Amino acid sequence: MVNLRHGYLVVEGCYKCKARSSFFSSEPTLPVDDYEDGEHHWIYLGSSQAVKFDLACDRCREVVNLDDMMGLMLSTCRDPECEVGRTAAQAGKGTWVYVALCADSTHASGKCVSEAGIKTLSEYFNANIKDPHKSIIVVPCIKCKSIDTCEGIVIADVGLTDIY
Amino acid sequence: MRVSEVAEKTGLSSLNEYQDKEVEGVYISDMVSDIITGAKANSILVTLQTHKSLIAAANLVDVAAIVFVRGKKPAADVVELATKAAIGLFVADVDTWSFALKLNEVGIR
Repeated sequence: MVNLRHGYLVVEGCYKCKARSSFFSSEPTLPVDDYEDGEHHWIYLGSSQAVKFDLACDRCREVVNLDDMMGLMLSTCRDPECEVGRTAAQAGKGTWVYVALCADSTHASGKCVSEAGIKTLSEYFNANIKDPHKSIIVVPCIKCKSIDTCEGIVIADVGLTDIY
Repeated sequence: MRVSEVAEKTGLSSLNEYQDKEVEGVYISDMVSDIITGAKANSILVTLQTHKSLIAAANLVDVAAIVFVRGKKPAADVVELATKAAIGLFVADVDTWSFALKLNEVGIR
């Protein structure tokens, strides 16, 4: 794990088309202003503390850039009409499906977290697991029927001020 | 030293059934983003957080057990998820620093 950057994951929504977008900000003050961008009018929906990272090969030092990944979600989806739900349902005991979340919930551009990123994330987390009965499958969020309704637990630092 | 032995020696209360793994280290954090970048497999995670996101992060990096300090207890659905992941959940009545000292005393570093 290399190029660790600490900051905030900011989530915005367009009230016209209901699209949701997110970006990583390392600014000390979060950008929370509404703004127009083409046909969209983005409004601030929320934020959480987050960390961004890339992955590097131990042997050749090749770095796989994960700028297109905004977070990870443990899938609890079992919807047979959702590819992620089917993958999770078919996974054996001890196999856990994590969804790599990209910035654009609509996937209007057809893009999501890169294939190389998904493969490397899967290899990285599985390589660090010592339990022989456990494995991780990482899938891109474009495989969700709808990322806005797909069931799962997003790994996010929300409510940190509520713990005391 | 296995999880159960650490629990016994440090006076922890168990919350679920778990896989009794050999403990290989300790990580202390209240941030899930920090846990996925810093915690190692088979470590004990010491935290104040009790939400489900914590279990999702701990499971991803193969944490052996989680100790909630200051007597904090997670909700039933959090315990259920941890049990499914075979992660041991424990409660320590003391604060983080005091529990870290206890771990050090029993030889977990």
